[in-house]
Amino acid sequence: MKGFCSLLKKDVGLMASGKFFLMSLGFLILYTLYVNFGYVRFVNAQLFHVYLYDPAGTQETVSPQVRMVSGKEGIYTALRDDDAGIGIDASTGKPELIFYEGEEKADRFRVDYAYSSLQPSVDYHAEAVGSNTPEQKKRKEITCELLFFEIAAVGFLGIASVLFKEKSMGVIRVHAVLPIRKTLFLLSKLTVFLLSDLVFAILLTILNVGPADTAVILPAVLLQTVFLSLIMALIGLVCALLLKDFRQFTLAYLLITVFAATPVFLSANSPVKLDWIHFHPFYHIYMGLKNAYFGTITENLFYYVGCLAAIAILFAGAWYVFSKEMGKEG
Amino acid sequence: MIEVKDLAFSYGKDKQALRGLNFTVEDGEIFGFLGPNGSGKSTTQKILTGILKGHKGKVWLFGQDISVMHTQEFFQKIGVLFEFPYLYANLSAVDNLKYFSSFYPKAQLRDVDELLEKLEFKKDFLKKPVSSYSKGMRQRVSMARALISNPKLLFLDEPTSGLDPSGAVLFRKIIEEERRKGTTVFLTTHNMLDADLLCDRVAFIANGEIAALDTPKNLKEQNSNQHVLITYLYQGKREEKTIGTSELEMGIPFLHDGIVSIHSQEPTLEDIFIRYTGRGLG
Repeated sequence: MKGFCSLLKKDVGLMASGKFFLMSLGFLILYTLYVNFGYVRFVNAQLFHVYLYDPAGTQETVSPQVRMVSGKEGIYTALRDDDAGIGIDASTGKPELIFYEGEEKADRFRVDYAYSSLQPSVDYHAEAVGSNTPEQKKRKEITCELLFFEIAAVGFLGIASVLFKEKSMGVIRVHAVLPIRKTLFLLSKLTVFLLSDLVFAILLTILNVGPADTAVILPAVLLQTVFLSLIMALIGLVCALLLKDFRQFTLAYLLITVFAATPVFLSANSPVKLDWIHFHPFYHIYMGLKNAYFGTITENLFYYVGCLAAIAILFAGAWYVFSKEMGKEG
Repeated sequence: MIEVKDLAFSYGKDKQALRGLNFTVEDGEIFGFLGPNGSGKSTTQKILTGILKGHKGKVWLFGQDISVMHTQEFFQKIGVLFEFPYLYANLSAVDNLKYFSSFYPKAQLRDVDELLEKLEFKKDFLKKPVSSYSKGMRQRVSMARALISNPKLLFLDEPTSGLDPSGAVLFRKIIEEERRKGTTVFLTTHNMLDADLLCDRVAFIANGEIAALDTPKNLKEQNSNQHVLITYLYQGKREEKTIGTSELEMGIPFLHDGIVSIHSQEPTLEDIFIRYTGRGLG
């Protein structure tokens, strides 16, 4: 236990000297500012502006978001500055649309949107599923994405940089002849990064989802954070031990973060569904985290068995490459 | 202390590093393990220190089979100085030593300050990070790390590497002191002077095999051609002559006015090494 505490203290010191905690704090502040002052406002902004010319007032149920113009020329003037906007000429009593053509799907959406702004809003009343307000839903989605990105990309890079430091100093070899269980060397790093990720997850969720909702979803979010954090930390350890230098690691990092995370975000957060995405392990982890944020517990037992098996296999791999590193020449 | 029988090891299928080593190291002995790069020195040391597993043959340390004894207790009894000074560059000498010593029972630890003083470590640098140290200073801290736990068995790999001559003399003095305390020393080196001055016995290893094993004195005597080189003055001229030692028993067997010097033609350890292995120690 005393040896483990020494290892923990040393790892915390290495992370602190590498400005890891400062960097995490910086990211926490940046993400929070982005969510509260950028993302939430941005998603609430109107997608397309609608400009209406209706001199006789033939349209009776116009949405307050529609902008009135004083002549047909006014529509053209507005569209010159706002080429995504839609003009409605209702001077004849029958609304006619004016807009710059774009991509077909988007144009259909714009047309529907323009017509809908002339309809009474009560016609669009629908049963609301779930208890989240639109803003809260957006907050949870973006917090989940940022947490996933932070652990998968930033934390992963952090653990590798600490290990590369020790590798370059050769001190891993000294640990091979110290009276401690060698697995503790890896466990100490995993513990420090796991605790750091958990603290980050708690703060990020409180600051961006709000304390009341956080209290409800936090246990499930932390469980998913544990899985993701351990898996990413172990991949970081294996890569750092296997690869020769930080340059090689950067390439692996790009492969893992870009090619692994991009399809996951695309499939989980957009209507685009890739056929093979269910074979992508990070998709399931991301969905586990997203479900946790929305208060839905992942009940599939195979998911938990899969996560635990992945952690066990990665740990065995990390132990194998660590043992090889200890026996290397100077 | 150490008993090795038919020790063999290979890295993969085709790279046979050790081919049946046999040797023993007695308690309190300084045993030199000499060989050129790639001869199997480091592999042997790694097997003895428990870093490499999967050897063939038998190795006993402290009277126990090594394959079952790489426990924490075993690592408490050994000290290892690596060829390079592996230290945390962001920590000071004192912090490095405090960190590495934290894994040993307090009762067996030496005092950090006292040890660094013994190694003539510059006091101004005690609290400065290792990254600001010269190679010699790092080597002193590494030696302190190996000695801090009062090991019963000390593995030293090129201990005087990176040291200036006075540093090398100091290290040899410290190794001698360790021996006097009863510590067994397994010294791996290229340095023939270290081996000659320190070792009770030396083993020459080449291509994974022991080519010769004896005391430096015996090796030199056995390989000596029993000749001396005499430099003398005769009729105002300086002359040199090599003669057999047996010829000296009756006095100098040639005319001379004065003797300038008599040098034994005894070979150096390096000469002997080349003779046994056909290779230099580079």
